[in-house]
Amino acid sequence: MKNAFHPADLAGIQVRPSRLWTQSLGWVLFLLGIALYVNLSVARHKENPDDRVAPSAAQIYQGIKTAALEPAEEDDPLDPGATLAERLTHSMLWKDTVASARRFLIALGLLVPAILLGLHMAIFPYFGALFQRFVLFFDKIVALSLLPILFIAFGIEEWSKIMLMVIGVAPTLILDSYNIARSVPREQIVKAFTLKSTNLDVAYRVVLKQVLPQIINSVRLNLKPLALFLFAGEMIASTDGLAYRIAIMRRHMGMDIILPYVLWVALLLFVMDALLRIANRRLHPWYQPL
Amino acid sequence: MVSAALRLEVETFSVAAPATRRTEIALRDVSVAYPAGREGVKTVLSGIHLEIAAGEFVVILGETGCGKSTMLRLILGQEFPTGGTVEVDAKPVKRIDARCGYVPQKYSLFPDRTVLGNVMYGPENAESRFLGRLRPSYLRFRKALRAEACAYLERMGLRPQDMNKYPHQLSGGMQQRVAIAQALLMRPPVLLMDEAFSALDPSTRASLQEQLHAIWHESRPTVVFVTHNTQEALLLGTRLILLGRHQEDRAHKSNVLLDMEIPTARLPFARRQHSPEFHELHEYVKQLAYKSSSMNRDEDLTQSLTPEGSL
Repeated sequence: MKNAFHPADLAGIQVRPSRLWTQSLGWVLFLLGIALYVNLSVARHKENPDDRVAPSAAQIYQGIKTAALEPAEEDDPLDPGATLAERLTHSMLWKDTVASARRFLIALGLLVPAILLGLHMAIFPYFGALFQRFVLFFDKIVALSLLPILFIAFGIEEWSKIMLMVIGVAPTLILDSYNIARSVPREQIVKAFTLKSTNLDVAYRVVLKQVLPQIINSVRLNLKPLALFLFAGEMIASTDGLAYRIAIMRRHMGMDIILPYVLWVALLLFVMDALLRIANRRLHPWYQPL
Repeated sequence: MVSAALRLEVETFSVAAPATRRTEIALRDVSVAYPAGREGVKTVLSGIHLEIAAGEFVVILGETGCGKSTMLRLILGQEFPTGGTVEVDAKPVKRIDARCGYVPQKYSLFPDRTVLGNVMYGPENAESRFLGRLRPSYLRFRKALRAEACAYLERMGLRPQDMNKYPHQLSGGMQQRVAIAQALLMRPPVLLMDEAFSALDPSTRASLQEQLHAIWHESRPTVVFVTHNTQEALLLGTRLILLGRHQEDRAHKSNVLLDMEIPTARLPFARRQHSPEFHELHEYVKQLAYKSSSMNRDEDLTQSLTPEGSL
């Protein structure tokens, strides 16, 4: 028979909350956050009906509608007879999302060699000796301090922002994949050589295959730093992108646009993280996380 | 005390390698020392001179830290001696290669491959490289290999439904069965086993010992088996090498305390353990090992004693 819930259980370590409790508790802070915001918004609107700092639900709805269905101010207006699909694909939100996603994905692609470098550093001793100290030092350089150099080297167009993301995240990813690859038991490598493996077999068919789930997890953890560098680049020098729009809207106190944009970015990152997690589980059914 | 007859037999076989058979493994005046900070140099092995004939089942027995795994790593090519030479099949050991099969105590299987994938990995590598796998003949080879691997695994006690399981879905005993099959399917001239059964429960260990003996008896690879279990050593091996810790102040500097052919290896495997000679020999080796341990250190020796009669 299950024990009844007792308030003292909340501080217990050995308690096992039911599924209902676990699910419900997971939503509590979201609901609390919404309630606090609504309360704040209502209070501010009572004092000043034109308040723009904490827009009401109706204002936010209007902001979402404008962002998702209307073109940006700098773009040409849409034909009044445009279909919903045309409105969506020519909207401010779509345009900014595509611009940011493009930079994000190019940077993510450019980080693949960083993962392979970490792997090689862990497996091939001469590679490790050549790169390890340099990467450790490079990791300590504050990437944002390199932004002026990147602007000079790559101009203020796309590549300076992409390179900022790559330079910001690459050392962490290199060191992460290095440490993960180093954790493969020596016995596995020895065994592989006794089974007629070549050096490349050991690197790619034994070690990389084994550490790939952990490396994907490391990429998942680095999604946010990557977005952070993307935002820094876009806020400083850009003509489109999610962060550019947030920076522009800040000037007009456009919280009805900023708040949906912030939530949209969080949602995009959440979905990307979830997709990587699901793919990791599907592709590596043998993986047993600690 | 060991009987006079057995003592005679033990002495007769002591420090002996059969002269008629080809030498498969040779360690000549091997020593291994590591830099040990302020202490200078720590010698693990010294004065090791061994010749292991093809087809022998050599068991290296010794207390923790006496260098038995180091000796195995030297033969494997994972480590190199600071003095002397190591040869396998009359060629110096310069790197880890397929001359030796290897079964460690743990992490013996690739976790990302199924049981069949693990066992087929070596022969697939041996057959062809990346582009060679595109040839139609490779598919035929793979089909035949799969059938052979399945038969081998079934012989090792795995059921057909286990073939597509991942290592984490198997018990420790099953994993070691697969690891042995994985190593033996490559038909290496030498099989090195490093405390391969140490982590298993007694019944699984007994069953694996029997299976290993049957395989060795049938195909006669040269086996070097490292253990700290006296009973296991005497049950499986045809030759016993007892190692002790290196002592700088000892006049006789070799770590090898005893090198003898095991007389009871001539008895049928099923009867071996129950014979009075086996018990006598067991007591003799245990006492010898215990005595050498007592000479080597003053610490509590009960730490390294197990109910199965290990050192």
